[in-house]
Amino acid sequence: MNGIQPLLIGSVLILLVYLLRSRSSARTKAWVKVGYVLFVIAGIYAILWPDDTTVVANWVGVDRGTDLLEYVLIIAFAFTTLSTYMRFKELELRYARLARAVALDSAREPAR
Amino acid sequence: MRIDTGDIRYHDVWIVIPAFNEAGVIGDIVADVRTVFSHVVCVDDGSRDDTGDIALAAGAHVVSHPVNLGQGAAIQTGVEYARTRPGARVFATFDADGQHQVKDLVRMIDRLIAEDVDLVIGTRFADPGIVSHAPLPKRLVLRSVARLSRQSRKLGLTDAHNGLRVFNKTVADGLDITMSGMSHASEFIALACDKRWRVTEEPVEILYTEYSKSKGQPLLNGVNIAFDGLLRGRLAQ
Repeated sequence: MNGIQPLLIGSVLILLVYLLRSRSSARTKAWVKVGYVLFVIAGIYAILWPDDTTVVANWVGVDRGTDLLEYVLIIAFAFTTLSTYMRFKELELRYARLARAVALDSAREPAR
Repeated sequence: MRIDTGDIRYHDVWIVIPAFNEAGVIGDIVADVRTVFSHVVCVDDGSRDDTGDIALAAGAHVVSHPVNLGQGAAIQTGVEYARTRPGARVFATFDADGQHQVKDLVRMIDRLIAEDVDLVIGTRFADPGIVSHAPLPKRLVLRSVARLSRQSRKLGLTDAHNGLRVFNKTVADGLDITMSGMSHASEFIALACDKRWRVTEEPVEILYTEYSKSKGQPLLNGVNIAFDGLLRGRLAQ
C-alpha cells in the first residue's frame, strides 16, 4: 500500500464520523448523510484502485481519471458556493426580522 | 395636549424616512416634511451618529435598528410601524439625503387619493418637460434597467429605482421586503406585479446635490441588484 493511501482513507473516515455525529432530524440532512456515505465508499475505492477512475473517465469521454476528478471537484465547489450564498441570504433575512422586532418594540414617539 | 402641525387633509398620511448616519441633514428634512405632513416615522438604521435623537427632536417617530441592516429593511420596518398606527391610510417613502421634494410628495398623494390606484412611483424620466439632472451614465443605466426588467415593462414604468413612492393600506399591509440592501426597489416593483397592485408613475424632480451624490449608491451596485433579482424567487420566505 502506498503511503498516501492510509492518510487519505483516514481523513475521509474522520469526516464521515464527524458528519454522522452532527444531529439533525431534517429529511434533507438525512439525504446529505446518505450521499456522504456513498461518497466515502467511492472515495476509498478510488484511493485503493486509482487507475479505475480512468476507466470511468473513458466512459464519459475524458482521457484521465485525474481530469474527471478535477471536473467533478469544480462543479461541486460551485454548487457549495451557491448554496452557502443562499443560506447566508436566508440567515440575513431572519436576522433582519429579529432586529426589526426589537426596533419596533422600542419605538420612540415625539413629545409633541 | 398633542398639537399637530401640518395640513389637516393629510392626517391619515404617514411618511417613512429611512436614515443611516444623516445627523447633518435629518433635522431639516423632518422639519420640512412636517410643514405639510404631521406623521413622520424615521427609521434610524443603526446610525453611529445621533440621527435618531435629532429626528425625534424634529417631531418624527423614531424606530431604531439595533444594527445596520440596509435601506430595504429600514423601509419595511417603517411601513410595519406606520401601518399599525390608528387611522393610517396613506403611506410614502422619502429619502433622508435631501434628493426628494415635499411638493412632489404632495402631488403624488393627491393623485393616489384622486385616482383609482394602489401605488404611485416617482419617475425622473416620464416627462420630457422636466429636465433630469441625473448624470448621463446613471441616466442610461437606470433607463435600460427599466426597459429590460420584465416587471417594469409590464407595468409600463420608466424609472427602475426611484425612492419616492406613495401607496395605500392594501400595499402597506401586503408589503414584505426581503432584500435588505439596495435591491428593494426592484423587489417593490416585483411585488406590485405579483400582487396585482394598480401602479402609476408621477414625474418628479430629483435634486442631485453634492451631499446626495456622495450618499448615493455607486453605479456598479447595479450588478448586485441584478444578481439579487435572479435569486429572489428561490429564497424561502
